[in-house]
Amino acid sequence: MKKLLNFKNRKIYFDQYLFFSITLLSVMGLVFLYSASQGDTTVLIKQSIFVLFGLLLMFLLSQPDPDFYKSNSLIFFVISIILIVLTLLIGIEANGAKRWLDFGLFTLQPSEIIKITLPVFLAAYLYDKKLPISLVNTFITLLIILIIVNLVRIQPDLGTSLVILMSGLYILFLAGLSWKFIGFSSTAFILSLPFLWNNFLEPFQKQRILTLLDPSADPYGSGWNITQSKIAIGSGGLQGKGYQMGSQAHLDFLPETETDFIFSVIAEEFGFIGVCLLLLVFLFILLRCLFLALNARDRFCRLTIGGLSLIFLSTVLINLSMVVGIIPVVGMPLPFISKGGSSLLSFYIAFGIIISMASHKKLMQK
Amino acid sequence: MINLEERVSEKKSFFNRLIIVYIFFAGLFLYFLYKTFLLQISSYTDYEIASLENKTREILIQPRRGVIYDRNGNILVNNVPSFNLIINPSLIENLEEHLNEINQIIELSDDEKNYAKENFSSLAKLNRELVLKKNLSIDERSRFEVRKYKFPNTFIDERYSRENLYPYLFSHSLGYTGNPNDPDLEEIFLNQNLKPKEIIFSYSNGYLIGKTGLEHTYDDHIRGQFGKKIFEVDASGKFLKELETIDEIHGKDLFTTLDLESQRVAFEQLDSRRGAVVAVKISNGAIVTYLSSPSFSVNKIANGISQKDFNSLLNNDDKPFFDRAAQGRYSPASTIKPAIGLFGIENKIIDWNFTIDDPGYFILPEDGRIYRGWKKGGHGNINLKDAIIESSNTFFFSLAYKAEIEDLIKHLSNFGFGETVCIDCFLPDSGLLPDPSWKMNTLNFGWFKGDTVNLGVGQGYLSATPIQLAYYASFLANKGELNKFSFVQDNSELEKSIFLNNNIDENDWLKLHESMIGVIESPKGTAGRLRSLKNYTIAAKSGTVELVSTETKEDYKIIREVEGKRDHAIIIAFGPMPNPEYAVSVVIENGESGGSVAGPVAIAVLNTLLKK
Repeated sequence: MKKLLNFKNRKIYFDQYLFFSITLLSVMGLVFLYSASQGDTTVLIKQSIFVLFGLLLMFLLSQPDPDFYKSNSLIFFVISIILIVLTLLIGIEANGAKRWLDFGLFTLQPSEIIKITLPVFLAAYLYDKKLPISLVNTFITLLIILIIVNLVRIQPDLGTSLVILMSGLYILFLAGLSWKFIGFSSTAFILSLPFLWNNFLEPFQKQRILTLLDPSADPYGSGWNITQSKIAIGSGGLQGKGYQMGSQAHLDFLPETETDFIFSVIAEEFGFIGVCLLLLVFLFILLRCLFLALNARDRFCRLTIGGLSLIFLSTVLINLSMVVGIIPVVGMPLPFISKGGSSLLSFYIAFGIIISMASHKKLMQK
Repeated sequence: MINLEERVSEKKSFFNRLIIVYIFFAGLFLYFLYKTFLLQISSYTDYEIASLENKTREILIQPRRGVIYDRNGNILVNNVPSFNLIINPSLIENLEEHLNEINQIIELSDDEKNYAKENFSSLAKLNRELVLKKNLSIDERSRFEVRKYKFPNTFIDERYSRENLYPYLFSHSLGYTGNPNDPDLEEIFLNQNLKPKEIIFSYSNGYLIGKTGLEHTYDDHIRGQFGKKIFEVDASGKFLKELETIDEIHGKDLFTTLDLESQRVAFEQLDSRRGAVVAVKISNGAIVTYLSSPSFSVNKIANGISQKDFNSLLNNDDKPFFDRAAQGRYSPASTIKPAIGLFGIENKIIDWNFTIDDPGYFILPEDGRIYRGWKKGGHGNINLKDAIIESSNTFFFSLAYKAEIEDLIKHLSNFGFGETVCIDCFLPDSGLLPDPSWKMNTLNFGWFKGDTVNLGVGQGYLSATPIQLAYYASFLANKGELNKFSFVQDNSELEKSIFLNNNIDENDWLKLHESMIGVIESPKGTAGRLRSLKNYTIAAKSGTVELVSTETKEDYKIIREVEGKRDHAIIIAFGPMPNPEYAVSVVIENGESGGSVAGPVAIAVLNTLLKK
């Protein structure tokens, strides 16, 4: 449902469903974060500023016509790459990883930006290609994706690089990658898994995967996080322990409560009922995106909405799967809920672009 | 550019592909929901417990052990407060400096300082206390108390330690306490529904359990139940606040049947000679006197003894740790004779008028081996009563000769030989009641008739502990009916063991008592010199245990040059007659004469018990 507001003779592009559900999610996030940060008002205020700024950014980004994104996608993409390279050169180092650029007033994580600009660029590159996508175009696309993924992976940032890999592959797949190619390459991928395991994963990354397979093997070492997360979630039961009453979160048993494991805090304090309500909001947003993608005005918009919404969906699912122990701990925030700067803003940007694509009518054709 | 037709098929392809991805993720999403459901609903209880265990720590509160009393309400074992100097490591920045400051007021040994240094950082991290020094003197306490404003993080707290008020009198009967080993502790925790791993036991310093004696036997009764304080802790183990306190249940007091006065008399009488004294109340089998000598101080063992002192006790030739009363095996020697006499009556081998001619020795018809009596020339023509009074060996050799060994063993077991006679003694020995199969298995020899003959005078393989001898005496005194022995007052419900017999009647028992009275009262009695030590009538039978077999008195004189080869002195006695209240057995190792060495001890104990 595109909505046009007449505001001093200027059209305002807006999707009420997405806008309100994302605002709701952001407010819920602030409530949860306040508890997860042990009632730290500084964290709350900082996050509130991010949310307000993010909502404003989302609104502003939904105003330009999709053609603006299509024609400028290359510029955005190149700027993102420059930022990534700069990060590798002069980035801030923390915990053995160079992921941030220091801009004085704020720090920026460029990998979070390229997570958006890469799929938009690929959508713009592929939207007018014949079906099925030719082998040449497939390889060009794959090459671009792999270069970007590797630039992020060497920071190192496995989690984000995987999301970037997915974001690129989603576009390629949605744009019409041939099934033959998919069948061939996935066989090749499975066969090369042992090689990847031995050559591309850092020891701590391997450890995380092994821990997933048997967290009880070392509950106080690498299995600690996931064990404590499960205890937090499980002990929440049906109704939860009550807001700010989660002992796992408030007595420091749970790690990274403000970021990766914020869902565990929610599950502990609000129980299964709270979890279901939160998931309903996510579900609503995703179904709305599905609807918008299927009804988009052209192929570029379709691909972009589809790709960006799948990134959102993947991030949510990776975070959720991680905290209940379905997949290894990779360091992935829960969108709109976890504390964060660049990651949080990237999703406001993504939804700003989605709303733009959804709310602008086709001008020339029809 | 793509044409319209292509655009339609492109749109269709896009729809399909997006739906495929969404379906794939919907599957993942449902799996996640299922996992969460499992965690929060199906396994809720498990995780709730895990979360509770995460955030709580229990600190034990020690119960106080029960007080042990004698039968007159005298306290025998008590708990005495020990004042300990305790610091709170998490609030102390510089331990070295702190110790130096403390040291100026209360002197700390190197061991104490090292202990503090080793445990300081771990205890500080966990916000737990550290005991610097135990058993502060009054002087040390007052010196600290006036300066305690200088040490806000240091305090003196009261803990209990165990004290036996008569540490030498009751060392073997009451036993001592000590720190439990891990398996013991685990068992105690399990019994009290405490989970060992969750418990910070180091907090409750100096918990004691009974290691020997009644402290051990009745540990469950005296021990009590731990209380606990439940604290909320964070992930680092730091104590945040107290959630709940469950009060400790103090141990119950133990009221024993022991009698302080008679025990003291027995101790003084034995005067550190090697031996044992056991006295019991006949009506209920209550042990009133229980002494093994020489003794040792249980308090030193329980509350810290130097390794050197401990070794010297351990290596002492007199073996003070050895509980002779319940574990020492001695031949009953002549004290067995009343039981053998009863065997003769029971099996109609003899009657009270039956006599034999005692030439001073018995010749075994099978091989002509000679078994000698103690009196050269013998006792002449003698009946059972006189044989007991004068302790004729020949009479009992010939009586035993006529016995079937199986019958005799069965008969003797009724008197407690080879049996456990005490229900709460610490590790009691059952002595040895030998039989042919035992001899074959142990010594690889068949049973000789001579072995049966030896049994008739309580020599040979037969052996009994002093407590068994006391049981035997009580059994005779109570005419074949007796409770198993116990140290604790309320044993009235215990079943009595009854000597099932066909041919022994009241008259026989009276005659037997008369004979045993004669041992002291008759001019020919072997313990005649005890007559003047009392002013009432006592039945007794003395014995002299030969450690080395000798043919003549001259031979024995050579033997007795070595103290350890001298005969043991034994006596069993009960009184006052005709209605005996107490029975006593006395063994004095290498004391030589049952009547004149062991006898006075028995009389003194009976005098005290009967207040005469």
